[in-house]
Amino acid sequence: MVLRLVITIAFAVLVACVVWQVVSRYVLQSPSTVTDEMARFLFIWVALLGGAYTFGQRRHLAIDLLPVITTGILRLLVNIGIIAAIALFAGVVMVYGGLDLVSRTLETQQVSPALRLPMGLVYIAIPFSGLCILYYCLTFLADLFRTGRGPNEQEGTASVGGPLD
Amino acid sequence: MDIQSVLVLFGTFAFLMILGVPIAFAIGLAAFATFLLFMSFDQSVYIVAQQVASGLDSFTLLAIPFFILAGNIMNRGGIAMRLIEFAKVLAGRLPGALAHCNVIANMMFGSISGSAVASAAAVGGVMSPLQKKEGYDPAFSAAVNIASCPTGLLIPPSATFIVYSLITNGTSIAALFVAGYIPGILMGLSLMVVAGIIAKRRGYPVAERPSGQEVIAKTLDAMLPLGLIVIVMGGIIGGIFTATEASAVAVVYTLFLSVIWYREISPRELPGIILESAVTTSIVLLMIGCSIAMSKAMAFADIPYSISDTLLSLSENPLVLLLIINLALLVVGTFMDMTPALLIFTPIFLPVVEDLGMDPVHFGVVMTFNLCIGICTPPVGSALFVGCSVGGVKIGQVLRPMLGFYAVLVALLLLVTYVPALSLFLPRVLLGY
Amino acid sequence: KTLRLNHNNPEDHPLHKSMQFMAERVEELTDGDLKIRIYANAQLGTQRESMELMQNGSLDMARSNASELEAFEESYGALNLPYIFVSADHYYDVLTNDIGADILASSEDKGFIGLAYYIEGARSFYANKAIHSPADLKGMKIRVQPSPSAIRMVELLGANPTPIAWGELYSALQQGVVDGAENNPIALTSARHGEVSKFYSDDGHTMIPSVVMISTSSWNDLTDEQKEAMRTAARESMDFHREQWDAMSAEAVETAKSELGVEFVEVEKGPFIEAVLPMHEEAAAKSPVVADLIKRIKAAAQ
Ligand code: NA
Ligand code: NA
Repeated sequence: MVLRLVITIAFAVLVACVVWQVVSRYVLQSPSTVTDEMARFLFIWVALLGGAYTFGQRRHLAIDLLPVITTGILRLLVNIGIIAAIALFAGVVMVYGGLDLVSRTLETQQVSPALRLPMGLVYIAIPFSGLCILYYCLTFLADLFRTGRGPNEQEGTASVGGPLD
Repeated sequence: MDIQSVLVLFGTFAFLMILGVPIAFAIGLAAFATFLLFMSFDQSVYIVAQQVASGLDSFTLLAIPFFILAGNIMNRGGIAMRLIEFAKVLAGRLPGALAHCNVIANMMFGSISGSAVASAAAVGGVMSPLQKKEGYDPAFSAAVNIASCPTGLLIPPSATFIVYSLITNGTSIAALFVAGYIPGILMGLSLMVVAGIIAKRRGYPVAERPSGQEVIAKTLDAMLPLGLIVIVMGGIIGGIFTATEASAVAVVYTLFLSVIWYREISPRELPGIILESAVTTSIVLLMIGCSIAMSKAMAFADIPYSISDTLLSLSENPLVLLLIINLALLVVGTFMDMTPALLIFTPIFLPVVEDLGMDPVHFGVVMTFNLCIGICTPPVGSALFVGCSVGGVKIGQVLRPMLGFYAVLVALLLLVTYVPALSLFLPRVLLGY
Repeated sequence: KTLRLNHNNPEDHPLHKSMQFMAERVEELTDGDLKIRIYANAQLGTQRESMELMQNGSLDMARSNASELEAFEESYGALNLPYIFVSADHYYDVLTNDIGADILASSEDKGFIGLAYYIEGARSFYANKAIHSPADLKGMKIRVQPSPSAIRMVELLGANPTPIAWGELYSALQQGVVDGAENNPIALTSARHGEVSKFYSDDGHTMIPSVVMISTSSWNDLTDEQKEAMRTAARESMDFHREQWDAMSAEAVETAKSELGVEFVEVEKGPFIEAVLPMHEEAAAKSPVVADLIKRIKAAAQ
């Protein structure tokens, strides 16, 4: 999938960026003035796209108690509630609020300090990843009605614990 | 105290979390609901969207994906085996040698990978069959593995401290890293003492004495993976590079080690490892972005201030207040994973302890130590789950042998809380903190 | 009515105290009708976030500095140019006369309006060697803020500009990751840079003020009396701040000399001015607004 490719490449570039910062300072003796900002902005994109992709993989951390102990119509309602809450956040905050943020920062021509990049371009990551999440919400809803699979049910065995545990 | 905003914030969060909404979204929606009390709908969505993206705009934060990537490369590169062999050399002559070996290997592996769960799986996966063969009670060996796997979260480098630094507006990462050494090592050592006493009583064997040649070979074999710690921590303490730069250097070093030197990873596997690291990271990052929005919502609503006021009205004795905070965190830790607990409760408790004159670095260590206990306790404990599954025992079985370890960990937590020097001595000496 | 003001300094910082002074005066002048609640330590967000929040009205007020503001309103760029001011009096004169007022008002359509300038002294180079002329800077790694004008200035002076986060600068200086930095003398004591840099070469290249701002929508919600009270309080707090700052700065110089053993080096500014003068023309060529401001600032020096 495209999202997967983009994330992998962007992540690799990110590592290269920071390594270059060290190399330019010690080996070339002429420190780079833009790698810091470039890395930070690329990172926002990786994080938000990664967040959407990970959501598509149903891998975000949730307390999966109610969807497991309930059955029948109640379980259906719980799962619909979960999807609705996520869609609310993705649609209202990320897409609607994010677009407002993007248009306002473009309108006032705010630029980043070092690269002189329009900040609006950096912020587009929010509504974009919000749209991806909305799309996944729809597919999860379809899955729920077709096969009864809830939005938190991963394929195979679920991974345990927070990523930093 | 403004009850309304507290109710809206925590009520929304608790409701959504119990419903089963992924925690990142539950946090984000709770922040949104709280902002609605203070500003218009359009302004609220704008500020949450901004904080989610902007909360991630930090060069420091880059260290998290890099350390995770370095850890993932190492995990595939077969370092667990090398570290375990080296640990055997170190602990071989103690009664219950394999239990000590498990603790030491967890300390080394956890230090490098920065993940308690990965450590419990990698080290425990190798150790528990060995221990079973030598007649150890499986519940006992699983308990040793579970209790000792979080040491790597305190022994640096540690992504947990990076998250803490970020949420506290830039507490020095170098200082936090160095501060984790003594408490982390004490944690491992005190578990070894308890394990040793039990092992002696049950007559668990010492290991065969290895030949001098073996000792040298195994030690040398472990030096290259452990070299990572020297490069990262030496570079940070020596001021050669920042934590983020160190993490990128760590990626390059582990790549060199496992792709070129050991040839245990083929370059074709790399995209998969990178993607997996990106996925693991983005789970944390989305949570961080949303938590930053939540902490801003709390500031708007003066929630930390209200809670701090309430706590200070309970007692003015710092010893009592720290006890209350520790108890609250222990309770939180029983049902919440490390990252969300850290993200949500740091901004609430830090102002209180700072009022009491506690250093933010010290509190970071106390908080992390406390939550390390939390991931070993039921009902929700990632280390507990993984440790039981690789040890092939049920959670119910492991709790009995865990009781002794819980007791010693809580005692040590109190020691770390009330003796700041345990955390602050090294940063002061090494960094002039 | 209570306005929220966010800034990123600790509560014992002189900037915080000056904002507190302004808040108290506003409350007095409006008989308690208008209050300002100050959030220190960036509780409500970084400087950039505060700007964006003011632009949509989620936040009423914020403090930033001219260097950061250049990304939001080009007019502030005129204040950031090296050697645009010939003396501390010329500097304060520009900030308090119609030129300063025009810059404060220039961003109204960008969602925020400036209320007050707080001076932060002149910035100079410090390192472990004396810097008498641009020739001494040749090849040195100098830490700069990540702004194009700071980078350009250090390049023109022959050094290598190195952006390093403020919090990491102390150890960077100590370990020689960078050879020097540039700031006002207070950095020597408050950030303890005097412990690791023993020569402060008083070239005074830039004088960059802090700016207290209010969002355009919050401003338009105020009554005429409240606006007048805000203006008066803002202006009074500028003088209050200047006195406070000058006293603190003098004290910092004394402490740096006596306790940290920092040597203060008198510098012949001529060669420095000559080296960076192209920046004035570059800035003027890029924007007619800035060109006009530069001309007026220079005229005010006479
Ligand atoms: Na670690
Ligand atoms: Na737990």
